[in-house]
Amino acid sequence: MTKTKKFLFIIILALLALGLGACSGRRIVAAGWSGVTAAEETVYFSYGPQAYALSLKNGSQKWAYPAEPINGVDFYAAPAFTPDSEQLILATYKNEVHSVDPDSGLKNWSYTVPSDSRSAVRFIASPLTTDAGIFAPASNNILYALDFDGNLLWEYQTEDPLWATPIWSENCQCIYQVSMDHHLYALDPESGSLLWKSEDLGGPIVSPPAISESGLIIVSTFNNEVVALDENSQGVAWRFQTRNWAWASPLIDGEQVYISDIAGKDDAGTFFALEVDTGDVLWQIQPGGGIFSAPLVQDGLIYFTTDASSLVVVNQDGVVQRNQPFEGKLYASPVSGGDQLLLAPSESEYYLIALNQSGVQVWGYPPAKK
Amino acid sequence: MWDQFISLMINILLFIYNLIGQNFGWAIIIFTVFVRLVTYPLNAQQMKSSKAMTEMQNSKKWQDIQKKYKDDKETLAQKQMELYKEMGVSPFGSCLPLLIQFPIIIGLYQAIIRALAVTPLQLVNLSKHVSDGANLIPINSQFWWMELSEPERLPILGIGIPVLAILVVITSYIQTKMVSPPGAPGADGGQGAQMTQAMTLYMPFLMGYLALTFASGLALYFIATNLATIAQYMITGQANFKNILPKLPNMNR
Repeated sequence: MTKTKKFLFIIILALLALGLGACSGRRIVAAGWSGVTAAEETVYFSYGPQAYALSLKNGSQKWAYPAEPINGVDFYAAPAFTPDSEQLILATYKNEVHSVDPDSGLKNWSYTVPSDSRSAVRFIASPLTTDAGIFAPASNNILYALDFDGNLLWEYQTEDPLWATPIWSENCQCIYQVSMDHHLYALDPESGSLLWKSEDLGGPIVSPPAISESGLIIVSTFNNEVVALDENSQGVAWRFQTRNWAWASPLIDGEQVYISDIAGKDDAGTFFALEVDTGDVLWQIQPGGGIFSAPLVQDGLIYFTTDASSLVVVNQDGVVQRNQPFEGKLYASPVSGGDQLLLAPSESEYYLIALNQSGVQVWGYPPAKK
Repeated sequence: MWDQFISLMINILLFIYNLIGQNFGWAIIIFTVFVRLVTYPLNAQQMKSSKAMTEMQNSKKWQDIQKKYKDDKETLAQKQMELYKEMGVSPFGSCLPLLIQFPIIIGLYQAIIRALAVTPLQLVNLSKHVSDGANLIPINSQFWWMELSEPERLPILGIGIPVLAILVVITSYIQTKMVSPPGAPGADGGQGAQMTQAMTLYMPFLMGYLALTFASGLALYFIATNLATIAQYMITGQANFKNILPKLPNMNR
């Protein structure tokens, strides 16, 4: 072999290793985006190998869980309080649901999903907690119901992965779980038995639906569509065509429902305001980028994020008040933390930032190095 | 440019996946064979150049200049280049087609991983590559006992056996041996021979290591591409079966 060939051979091997390593499916630096839950004085969020509790006032860390990262265990789903606020439920990307003490960050218990070792069971979405228990949807198509001591009550299997938090319906006294198998399932929270199942809604569903006071369940689907189901008749009340996949959860605000879609190949995402009862468009805007999470309504203003790294603030007539750029990508919903607005950017030096009413950063976590 | 190339590969992969009843394992295998067919002219060129190079390096002229200028590397290199020109052989003839295939290997692997999209950020990424095809999501990543988005182990008596990685090592070894022409350079046991032997030994283990640690979709691709190469050499009558078994010492001496 000549020197040239030897050199080329080594270069090829090095490039092959780099090229493959750059996109390894084995260990992903960030697989999801941060889930944030704010309480009175503390904000809890999950990002990567740990979940954190920070002071809302100044962003100082109260605890991190686990204290030291465990290899291969990641947290992305928003921490969920039990109804008595005594436990904080954290779901992982590796087979486990944990309960920790919200004050100390110490572990109460953990539940491990039986796994066949072929692949990890990921809890992409945050669990729902009600008086009946903890309901954790998983990527292995199963909704797990646990009691408050971490014991399995029942499980319900759908056809495809569950990426959305189930929601509670006062009207039907049941939980609704949407699935990537295109269906919505109404389940009895006590027994896990199926009460009813929607027709095929046309595409995968990855975000929780919203329920209106009039009993409409509004569902975003990847079939470029938002569908409203009537809770009583269980049939479709209206459909609304979006331009691209409707990923984010709808948000109901009085007589309006806000929905959105992600960016297409040649098209930015669109944010729509529809009339809740009819699905008629009231207004729409395209601020640039795709929209992946539900908006926040606070003090008469609508806040939503885009993956073009901006926080968009709109009034209820659809007039943009502010389109504020940030470093990194914004996939997660903005969260209200007292008089502050909390944002969890991805690919940024900060995992979490707090803004005041004018959009000025009050603090960031982790703190900037001096 | 690279993103467009990846998009093209993802969309072809998903098209095949849908066409054959949504089986991602078979989609990878068929896509690999398809890519081998498309790149056949490059492979044929590589085989031709490799054969010409072997013939030249076995020629008397080549051997003579090796002996004559063995202590004068500069002149040796110059004479070698002259001989390349004289015999119409390009020193890069067998390397360039390999280099051109390199982005295809990387692209195929990225297409496999991106199409599987088992986490939200992966699905965000996939959404930027597919204009349609939402109904194919989630991709069925189960294939026989494998989860194609994860490194593969077959549990036997409580022990995870990396079956695919073992198959990658075996097929890579057979392929490397089989495509080495008889009388390949360095049969004299010189530096060239040592390098060739090292490559034959290390290459399968390198591929096996990649198969062991990366998503099993890649291992499936390695096996499919090794088998396709072996088949290609067999069909064109250039497979060298004698090389597969280790040479035994000459007992007649």
